Amino acid sequence: MAAVIEAHDLKRTYKTTTGVVRRKPLEVEAVRGISFAVERGELFGLLGPNGAGKTTTIKMLITLLLPTSGTARVLGHDVEREPREVRKRIGYVFGGDRGLYERLSALDNLRYFAELYGVSGRRQRERIGEVLELVGLTGREKERVEGYSRGMRQRLHIARGILHDPEVLFLDEPTIGVDPVGARELRATISELVRAGKTLLLTTHYMFEADTLCDRIAVIAKGSIVGQGTPTELKSGVTDGRVTEIEVFGVDDAAVERLRAIDGVTAVAVEEQEQKQLLVVQTTGARELTQALLTELGGASVGRVSSREPTLEDAYVALVTAE
Amino acid sequence: MKTLRVIAVGWLIHFKIMSRSPFAIGVGATWPIVNATLAYFMYRAGGYPQTLLYASLGSAVAGIWSMAAIDASGAIQRQRWWGTLELLVGAPVPFALVLLPMAVAIASAGIYALATTLLWGRLVYGIPLPLEHAVAFVVAVPVTIASIGVLGFALGMTLVRFRTASHIGNSLEYPVWIASGLLFPLAVLPAWSHPISLALAPTWGMRALLHSALGGRAWLDIAICLGLAAAYTAFGIALLERFMDSARRHATLSLT
Amino acid sequence: MTNLRIFFVGGLISYRALFNWLNPWIFVPTLVVGPIFQVLFFAYLGRAAGVESDRFYVIGNALQLAALPGLFAMTFTITGERYSQTLGPLLASPANRAVLFLGRALPVSANAAAVCVIAFVGGAVLLHVTLPAASLPALAVVIAATAVSCTGFGFLGGAIGLRIRDAIVLINLLDAALLIFCGVNIPLESLPDWMRAVGEALPVTHGLAAAREIADGATLGDVSHLLLAELAVGAAYAAVGYALLRYLEQAARRNASLETA
Repeated sequence: MAAVIEAHDLKRTYKTTTGVVRRKPLEVEAVRGISFAVERGELFGLLGPNGAGKTTTIKMLITLLLPTSGTARVLGHDVEREPREVRKRIGYVFGGDRGLYERLSALDNLRYFAELYGVSGRRQRERIGEVLELVGLTGREKERVEGYSRGMRQRLHIARGILHDPEVLFLDEPTIGVDPVGARELRATISELVRAGKTLLLTTHYMFEADTLCDRIAVIAKGSIVGQGTPTELKSGVTDGRVTEIEVFGVDDAAVERLRAIDGVTAVAVEEQEQKQLLVVQTTGARELTQALLTELGGASVGRVSSREPTLEDAYVALVTAE
Repeated sequence: MKTLRVIAVGWLIHFKIMSRSPFAIGVGATWPIVNATLAYFMYRAGGYPQTLLYASLGSAVAGIWSMAAIDASGAIQRQRWWGTLELLVGAPVPFALVLLPMAVAIASAGIYALATTLLWGRLVYGIPLPLEHAVAFVVAVPVTIASIGVLGFALGMTLVRFRTASHIGNSLEYPVWIASGLLFPLAVLPAWSHPISLALAPTWGMRALLHSALGGRAWLDIAICLGLAAAYTAFGIALLERFMDSARRHATLSLT
Repeated sequence: MTNLRIFFVGGLISYRALFNWLNPWIFVPTLVVGPIFQVLFFAYLGRAAGVESDRFYVIGNALQLAALPGLFAMTFTITGERYSQTLGPLLASPANRAVLFLGRALPVSANAAAVCVIAFVGGAVLLHVTLPAASLPALAVVIAATAVSCTGFGFLGGAIGLRIRDAIVLINLLDAALLIFCGVNIPLESLPDWMRAVGEALPVTHGLAAAREIADGATLGDVSHLLLAELAVGAAYAAVGYALLRYLEQAARRNASLETA
């Protein structure tokens, strides 16, 4: 079956100028050849630091920007040549305070967008009620948006995005700046949407969010995809071992070298912390090496020892800083 | 039917937003009074008392144009600030159906300008408003507003593509006042400019208002005004696709 | 030395950043086309009303337009800083306030004089208005003085903009006031006493009176008292604006009332 969202070697360059008096043209390559495909019913994540090109990629897919080169199709329609067909079938939600008419009530906002996005006149009232229910804003819709909290605005955003019941939803950093409780509720809503059969593309720079929500993730850095796969695949792709953290009081370089020499240890990093050091030891293989490590440290005073699975953050940092 | 609905809803929503903006209403309703006062002084000094009504109506229409020109530019820029421009462009509805009602709604806020200016003239200067053809007057008001709105639509269009177009909007204030004969008759202008004036819909809207108040062929003026406005709309819509594509290519829909 | 740098470099960069005047698409419509059409508008209105002469309106409006950059640029300086969120950091900086704002005043004054001249020349050429060549140097001095005085007036606008979010409304009103009270389009003699008194307290009035007299053949010496009055008015507004600025700054530190965001 054809993928719901397909991107083939998408590129986008921006032209700006530098200089005060004599302006020189400058070309910024925001996206340098991105390709991926999203299947029906998937929650696909675009994970990357700020400025990586996530928002630019999404804007190309939702027809707001024309790619400098490359192609993309959503539900089989080319984003460049059939923008209207694409727009009818997708929803766009972005994070932050903007994107709503502050002076109007939530209801008026929804009425306007329902009209623009093609919800039939007769269906409107019913549909608006449905989406308000889904995002948990029923009862607050007559209030002006200017009085809404960030979390409420985000929920209203989502409500607006799904008014016309699109098959595909694009979410650009939907939980940015939202408090933890609100963010959790938003994520629950997002999961609901996937369960209802929608296909979602989500951009975020929150590891935890990508890890828990997404079926598959593409990691973007500096305009290119540096890793792609399920969260588990990504984590194991970088280190398939463990990370052990040992607090020591006064360890010398010789001891650290001895640790490095242990079979199975791939890296030892020493973090100076006020009166002690934190040794971060990466090891491969499933073997429990803590005993061997402690033995090599010999007489040094040892504080806490902890051992953990590598997280998506470790994988992400490794991927993003690899170049 | 659906098209009319989209336009009607769009108009209502943007008129609501405008009405809740104290700044827009404040300036929009008071600036015409300034022009009116200046015009009254000058016309009175010149000894033409019967033209005071002209000054009154003309200042109001001038105010409506300022609203449309400056505020239409401001509106597009505001949509950029609010983050809603992208949502409007990204909607499946053709952007012309979004922009047109927005521009007309902004011009409609000029109804406040009309009211305050006529009231000011009546209360402070004792200028009466005779209504020879009352029905024609009542029709002429929305027609004039709509024709000005359409010009604002054309301006707004360039603004979606060119972020600096708002400054051009500001500087179109006086030129249209002059060319449309809003505060003085076209006879004062050089002959070569008359065809330009006659091609502008607000010129006919102004004539319609004057003639319906003082007597004259108001209905003919209304018809010509509508015809011209329709022509601009068609022309604007035809160009709009090009502008939108260009805006998408040059990434001017958002702030950065 | 630091002060000089703040004065020139800071002034120019902030000015360029905000008013973007090096971009012809902004410069030409706002500072050339708009002003010339203002002159034309009032000249034609005068013809229709049969009041005064084209020359009257050219001189009047050209001088009034010197206030355009002063009012709007100074306000934009403040509100623009607010929008780009540099106002907070700016006020937190140790730079000498007076030097900082004076630095911004220099390009503004130059701009004001330029607009005045452009409007003058444009209007004169299009309306076939002539002035005796001998009066031009004196006129230039008057224009410079008025430009400086209007910039001082703009300080007040800037200070107000610090406190009020939609200061642009007030600025438009000030612009309108100049059109009505300063003898720009209505001769001072024709104004009722109270309006004339208001005009005396505004910039442009004295400079304009001086310009009109020079156009009629007076020398710079004859109008020196008017020039001094004009500069005094401008300085007074600058002082008030500056004092207001400092006061608001202190008050804001006390109760977070500055509209820095």
